[in-house]
Amino acid sequence: MRQQYAIRSMIIAAGLVLAGLAVIVQIIRIQTSDQAKVFLSQGDRYSGEFQMFYPERGEIYDRNGHLLAGNRTVYEVGVSLNEMESPDSLANILSKYLGLGYDEVHKKLTESPKSWEYVVIRDYVGVETVDALQKLVQDMNEADDSRLNGLAFKPHLQRSYPENALASNVLGFVTRDGRGYFGIEEKYNDLLAGNPVQVWVPRDPNKATEIPRVPNGTTLVLTINRDLQAKVESILDQALSDYGALNGTILVMNPRDGDILAMAATPRMDLNNYGNYFSLYDNGSQYNRSIGMAYEPGSVLKVLTMAAALDTGTVRPETTFIDTGAIEVGGITIQNWNRDAWGQQDMVGCLQHSLNVCLAWISSQMGTQSFYSYMERFGLGHSTGVDLSGEATGRLKVPGDGDWYPVDLGTNAFGQGVAVTPLQMLMAASSIANDGKMVTPHVLYSMLRDGHQYNVPSQVAGSPITTETAHTLNQMLAASLEQESSQALLPGYRLSGKTGTAQIPTDYGYYAFHTNVSFVGWGPTDDPQFMVYVWLEKPSTSIWASETASPVFSKVAEQTVILLNIPPDAVRGQLVTK
Amino acid sequence: MQGQATQIIHAYRQAPWRVQRQWIGAFLLAVIGVAMVAALYLDVTARAAVAGREIQEMRKEITTIQRENADLETQLADLTATAVMEKRAVELGYRPVQPGELDYVAVPGFVLPEPAILLAADDAVSSVQNLPAEYTQSLLEWFEDRVKLGGLR
Repeated sequence: MRQQYAIRSMIIAAGLVLAGLAVIVQIIRIQTSDQAKVFLSQGDRYSGEFQMFYPERGEIYDRNGHLLAGNRTVYEVGVSLNEMESPDSLANILSKYLGLGYDEVHKKLTESPKSWEYVVIRDYVGVETVDALQKLVQDMNEADDSRLNGLAFKPHLQRSYPENALASNVLGFVTRDGRGYFGIEEKYNDLLAGNPVQVWVPRDPNKATEIPRVPNGTTLVLTINRDLQAKVESILDQALSDYGALNGTILVMNPRDGDILAMAATPRMDLNNYGNYFSLYDNGSQYNRSIGMAYEPGSVLKVLTMAAALDTGTVRPETTFIDTGAIEVGGITIQNWNRDAWGQQDMVGCLQHSLNVCLAWISSQMGTQSFYSYMERFGLGHSTGVDLSGEATGRLKVPGDGDWYPVDLGTNAFGQGVAVTPLQMLMAASSIANDGKMVTPHVLYSMLRDGHQYNVPSQVAGSPITTETAHTLNQMLAASLEQESSQALLPGYRLSGKTGTAQIPTDYGYYAFHTNVSFVGWGPTDDPQFMVYVWLEKPSTSIWASETASPVFSKVAEQTVILLNIPPDAVRGQLVTK
Repeated sequence: MQGQATQIIHAYRQAPWRVQRQWIGAFLLAVIGVAMVAALYLDVTARAAVAGREIQEMRKEITTIQRENADLETQLADLTATAVMEKRAVELGYRPVQPGELDYVAVPGFVLPEPAILLAADDAVSSVQNLPAEYTQSLLEWFEDRVKLGGLR
């Protein structure tokens, strides 16, 4: 009997062992079979997911720490289709709160592919709307009403511009795909956007690890003075209204280091509503006319001609010229702006009365090689290197070019037949205000990244004229303004500058009654701390810069000395002696 | 002689019930050992899982706080925008200063401050790069680590 039990036990044990072995064999077979790789890959695939972590776009501040471009939270509103209980109720509520059509929302909820688990109803929804929706969901949940089940809100950041249209031409804008267009946003897009990091995030909490830190985009501090920018934009808008000009530009720059303190241009755009771009601009060059549009500047370019002539020794301030009202250059007769003969003039008189004949004579005396060599050294026909996107280079025809004619030597001397941007002219003139050294204009003051501040050093673009020439011409330009009793003058401050009234070229010659009016000036004359460039397009109340651009310059200078704390000359002298 | 020897051996053999009890005891000891190890492993695994969940929650919290911070900065900028401040100033009875109304006073030793340094607003976040091994190691990994180090730690 005992033996029988023993045999049975042995058989059962053997059976269990065999079953166990079979399980082990099967485990090994599955692990090593061809399908095992498929199972493993499926397991890996669902064990986590790749997530892209986008850094917060860097902010943009003005030089005094005022935020010009930041970020704000917006929401993606969507519905988890698996949790949805009442498509009709959801469509009804969402169409009402999000301003969408009921049918549109209902179609998304009911006719999405069956494989979809989630459907986006609307993105970039503001906080107020989402708060109202969330409160509604909460109220319904408390009342055990499940009709809004499935509604989801995913927050993310969107670019925001607290100052709306202020400095829009400088800043540029960011579209919803996160790319910057125009201005600083485009020029420094890579720095501002930072580097997104893709990370494998396991679903198994045992394998959860810290996500590598994704540094925010670089924060930029601009040279722009927000308050001055606002004042200058206000003055520009008023000038367009007062003088009936189509568009305009005003630049304010520190001639010592090239810091652009204000850069106003029209039209401006509310950067929080960049969809208006196509209704405001015909092409990209109009976005910031200060750097994007080249034009014939007219007599403001005479300061460069005079600087070159003084530097080469062709003329001195006291050199006299008998103005007969006309001069022939390259077989073409050139006349003064009023076609009058102004008689004997010294060089200050030539500038004061803006005599084309005198300046054409000066360039002829210099000769083509010397004249164009200086114009090249002033940077005409080349980009300034400003750190903004969309800069035009302008055009300086030189001997040898197919469209250069000998008369251009005469007309170029007073700013016709040559195309420059306002910023090019300002940069060239900075050599006169800055002891002969021409500075590279720039908008970026510093970068902040990882707790470090990197300041952008100022750059000297060249020294086209000597210090002595710069000082001499600086005084001549101040004297010419004073003797002219110009509307550009500012009581208490000695300023230097020059007007420019330029005819506007067309394909068939020049407009008869339209002009571009400009003014380039700086102050205080004995220690220039700011430069201003004004350009108004086609003013209708007067075609003359002396009656339009000059008073605008004076107003800008007035606000600049207040906001930059520059005392009147007399007070400054007393402060220095103390 | 052989018969005597056999008798002596039989005399020293343990009773069968004692042998069985020893086997059962050894088996139970092994079971208890395995259960203790399993319990320890479960405890460590549970702690790691909780820590992992906390990491995930903290990650979400960091993202939320960063977003709120950006929101607040922008809201502050909205409230102090040029147009807003100008409007408030006018409502309070202020007006723009005119050039002749300014008085300049010489202050010995005063140097115009440099533009504001914004490092305080920077996103320099201290990062916990090294989690303690207790939160990431399994029991087997800990044991392997000890074996490799020869029990020095």
